[in-house]
Amino acid sequence: MSVSDDTATQVDDEPAGRRGSLRSRRPAVVAAALVVAAAIVLVLVVTTGGRDEPSAGRAGAAGPVAGGTLTYALAGTQVSLDPAVAATAVTGLIDRNIFDSLVVQTGPATFGPWLATKWAVSGDGRTYTFTLRDGVTFHDGTPFTAEAVKATLDHVVDPATKSAYAASLIAPYEKSRVVDDHVVEVTLKRPFTPFLQALSVPYLGIQSPAALAKPVADYRPVGTGPFSYVSWEKDKRVTLSKNAAYASPPAGASHQGAAYLDGLVFEFVPEDATRYGALTSGQVQAIAGVPPVNAGRLRSLGGFDLTVQETPGLNYNLYLNQTRGPLKDVRVRRALSAAVNVAELVKNIYFGRFPVARNPLSRTTAAYDATAESELASYDLAAAERLLDEAGWKKGPGGYRVKDGRTLALTWPYWAEGNKEQRDVLAEGVQAQAKLAGIKIERPAVDTGAFVSKYLIGGEYDLVDVSFARPTPDVLRFAFASGNTYAKAGGNVALVDSPRIDTWVEEAAETSDPATAAKDYAAVQHEVLRQAYVLPLYTPVQLTAFSAKARGVAFDAQTYPVFHGVWLGA
Amino acid sequence: MSAVQDAAAGGPYEPAWAGLRKVGLPRPGVALAVAFFALVCLAAAFPGLFAHAPDRVDPALALRGPMKGHPLGTDQLGRDVLARLVFGARPSLLVGVGSTLLAGVAGAAWGLFSALGGRVAGEAAMRLADVLLSFPAVLMALLVVAVLGPGTRNAALAITVALAPGFARVVRAQALVVRGSPYVRAAVGLGLAPARILLRHIAPNVVAPLLILATVNVGTALIAGASLSFLGLGPRPPAPEWGAMLAQSRDYLDVSWTLALFPGAAITLTVLSATVAGRALQARYEGREVR
Amino acid sequence: MPPLARRLTRRLALTLFVLWGAATFAFAGMRLVPGDPARVIAGGVQANATPQVLDAIRAEYGLREPIVVQYALFLGRLLRADLGGSYQLGRPVSQVIGEQIGATLALAAGAAALGFGLAVALATLTAGRPRLRALSRAAEFCSISTPNFWIGILLLAAFSFHLGWFPVIGDDGPAELVLPCAALALPIAGVLAQVTREGLERALDQPFALTARARGATEHRIRVRHALRHAALPVLTLSGWVLGELLAGTVVVETVFARQGLGHVVVAAVRGRDFPVVTGVVVLSALTFSLINIVVDLLYGLADPRIGAAA
Repeated sequence: MSVSDDTATQVDDEPAGRRGSLRSRRPAVVAAALVVAAAIVLVLVVTTGGRDEPSAGRAGAAGPVAGGTLTYALAGTQVSLDPAVAATAVTGLIDRNIFDSLVVQTGPATFGPWLATKWAVSGDGRTYTFTLRDGVTFHDGTPFTAEAVKATLDHVVDPATKSAYAASLIAPYEKSRVVDDHVVEVTLKRPFTPFLQALSVPYLGIQSPAALAKPVADYRPVGTGPFSYVSWEKDKRVTLSKNAAYASPPAGASHQGAAYLDGLVFEFVPEDATRYGALTSGQVQAIAGVPPVNAGRLRSLGGFDLTVQETPGLNYNLYLNQTRGPLKDVRVRRALSAAVNVAELVKNIYFGRFPVARNPLSRTTAAYDATAESELASYDLAAAERLLDEAGWKKGPGGYRVKDGRTLALTWPYWAEGNKEQRDVLAEGVQAQAKLAGIKIERPAVDTGAFVSKYLIGGEYDLVDVSFARPTPDVLRFAFASGNTYAKAGGNVALVDSPRIDTWVEEAAETSDPATAAKDYAAVQHEVLRQAYVLPLYTPVQLTAFSAKARGVAFDAQTYPVFHGVWLGA
Repeated sequence: MSAVQDAAAGGPYEPAWAGLRKVGLPRPGVALAVAFFALVCLAAAFPGLFAHAPDRVDPALALRGPMKGHPLGTDQLGRDVLARLVFGARPSLLVGVGSTLLAGVAGAAWGLFSALGGRVAGEAAMRLADVLLSFPAVLMALLVVAVLGPGTRNAALAITVALAPGFARVVRAQALVVRGSPYVRAAVGLGLAPARILLRHIAPNVVAPLLILATVNVGTALIAGASLSFLGLGPRPPAPEWGAMLAQSRDYLDVSWTLALFPGAAITLTVLSATVAGRALQARYEGREVR
Repeated sequence: MPPLARRLTRRLALTLFVLWGAATFAFAGMRLVPGDPARVIAGGVQANATPQVLDAIRAEYGLREPIVVQYALFLGRLLRADLGGSYQLGRPVSQVIGEQIGATLALAAGAAALGFGLAVALATLTAGRPRLRALSRAAEFCSISTPNFWIGILLLAAFSFHLGWFPVIGDDGPAELVLPCAALALPIAGVLAQVTREGLERALDQPFALTARARGATEHRIRVRHALRHAALPVLTLSGWVLGELLAGTVVVETVFARQGLGHVVVAAVRGRDFPVVTGVVVLSALTFSLINIVVDLLYGLADPRIGAAA
């Protein structure tokens, strides 16, 4: 921080300049000018000299070096550090370093051992028996046993925890039974294939039973992970430090033993441009969410590694509420879909960094079916106009279509706090293009309370946009099963109510035959596009940038960076 | 306007612009300011005179600098920046000027009531103004937005609430002076109806200082309005409001810095012209020389 | 009662009245909002809370009591300086304010110092010198008319992004303060410079200036030693206005520079309708604003005895 000290002297120098002006005018002006000039030169010299030259560190370093603190700047904030309580991606990212999971996801549908060395599933698919790793202790010294697994899962489903997301991941959970210190048996109410995937996410990371026993106000996240919790300054940063005794990395980890880094700091910087500037000026070593507009320049700057990771799960989609107003008519839904030139908008707004979506699922998700896009009503303004004419919506004065004296107006609530990745800009583009087809899209600005109660639960919307990252095709059940409306803690915001879709997603979740599941999931993708319940926009991409000094960066199945093996070069 | 002018001419105070005429041609700076402000008002009333299609997107042409066909360049969706600035005059002025006018009317009623209403009610009205005045105006506006929610209308109302008590205080002071003046006493003595005295004799004399205060306040209100929409609490995109345009431009500073330049310049020039014109009026009214 | 004490009592009574008004207004706002605060407390949209959870929250925050009882409880807590708990942050408001106020104070103090300093320097250099004055007036009008967030964006673009002279994030060191302070100070300095110069010019026209000149004092000595003191009075009356501008300015400037602070907190709270936080910040600023105005009033009385006597 030598920079700050020297610029401070510049400020202090100003009064001196004015004191000089007491004697007589002309010399005073000259003196003041000199002082200011000197200060500027000083600042220039010091700041340019003190600035990091990221590329300089590349030479000469051989093996990994332990020590140092890495600061990772990211957007978003969190309500709780308890992974079972919070559901935001930020919490998952941070807690991933504090908590280990029972299993690790190693591919689209494959899992490897982590805190559980092996597991067995009963014939009816309802009982999972996990054998646990020996000799692992939590950060607070509590030994890791079957009791901890039971305590964690029971904590998640306990209504007092107020968990929504974590509990919904293991909705069929019935009970855990401690067989012995290192064997635990989990019983489900019904067969549930996505169970292992659910267990692999940080929201179901295994917590210290001693920490969970404390009152909620004194909650501290205590796990067995490579870093332990130090402090949380609300909306500012979370600080973690190395767990020197760490010896339980997941299967396939490139690094064994304790982390190289002494400390890991997550700095919350919500503004895109600011976060980017913090990286290029060397204030932080890594950032999440590099603005697509800056990605090209970052590459050309040198000294930074940009990683591009397509997020698995549901794309960033626009959902069309099929229970309300004009959108009850499938022709109007398909017309809206055809009116918007998604490809052109996405390509230009995101500078080609974000893949244009033509399927509700992202292509890195298991069971993604590329043939489904043939059902999508792609951009064709003439076709859109034709469909609207057929549906009885005629162009009225002002360019918007009218039927029975009503204007073709759709409500798309704008929830500012949830806005990111220039989604508001994309929405403006969608608005402008829909207008050309005569569809009016209104975007009332709403706060969280109204967004949830009036819109998401009250259903007073026609369009809602959302993305949902989770590496499993089971997200299709989350998004389109009739029982999974938002009011019931699901993601079916198009309010789809289709018995066929329900049958497919239920069968896919319960079957142990991968081929059946794939067939079912493909059918869902075709059907929702044919019915235009959803207009896919883009696949969210994790644009993560690390200073070239940070080595050994890897990413897990959730596209979270894994800091365990990261070290700082010279 | 002319009705107001005639009315004002009947009282002991000349309308301020008559004074300007008296000293001959206005200073070039003042003339320029008045002309520019008039131009902005014209754009707000008839944007179609100057530009077309502020929301026609052309993503392939996004974020270009000034070029043929787009003299001020294009924004992140390839919309013409000049067209958006022109069409942005209306929402921007609506919040800035609209709220000032509203505050002037409300403040005048409030001040007259407090000066001429009953002793207790009048006093209470003025104490309320005191309470509101002991708040920083922008905080007041934020509080109102917090209650009403964001949006163009609510932002304008918020600034109105913040400005009105200031007007009320000035009007009250002026009305008290006029009420004590000999000709009003004479009118009362003649047994004229109170409503007639209020309308014919008191109100016109309150108009001049009120108008001047309003002109001086337009700049403040414009900046406050732009601040609210910059914070995302006022008019929202795709409305081409200048503060909102500035807020969006922040994401593209690295690529297209002109995007941040023009809306900011539009706000500054408009506020500058209003301030210069207002100060000139004020100086005339107070009988000082404009320097 | 001596007039000073009476004035003071009146002002303090008015302050209490203001605080009560602010709190009541904020409370009314809290109840007028269509959204359900329990949802916000539950963690908003991502944490899709069940009805049981919402019920537990309503009970915990007293949202099920009759409105009058809630109001009484609210005022009672306020009297004990308990501002309640934030909906969004899940922590006591006083704690939130306590953490954030330092950054805001540093910014406001820095900007005030810079603004006054710049204004005095400009006024002293340009008073009574027509050419310089015209130049300076033009600059002042421009700075008065420029929204501080635009100044902030331009400074950020030029000095942080392109030249890299100042850090882009952070609020710990003095270097991080320079640009935000400048953005906040410039519009204020414009007004202050005008008022100061006017005062200076009036003072320089007075007989004492002539006497001093006759005694052979240098022009600068006259301006700085004698005339400035006379110009201080009208500037002092502007302190309340300056404070208001600073309070309002920090809200915007903190957003531009992504700084921590009360302004940042209050904007987030207004957006999310986190009323305990909005109430807390508003009541606190009204209190500060009133107290400073009282102090200025007293100082003014001291500096110019005629005022005290007249009141």
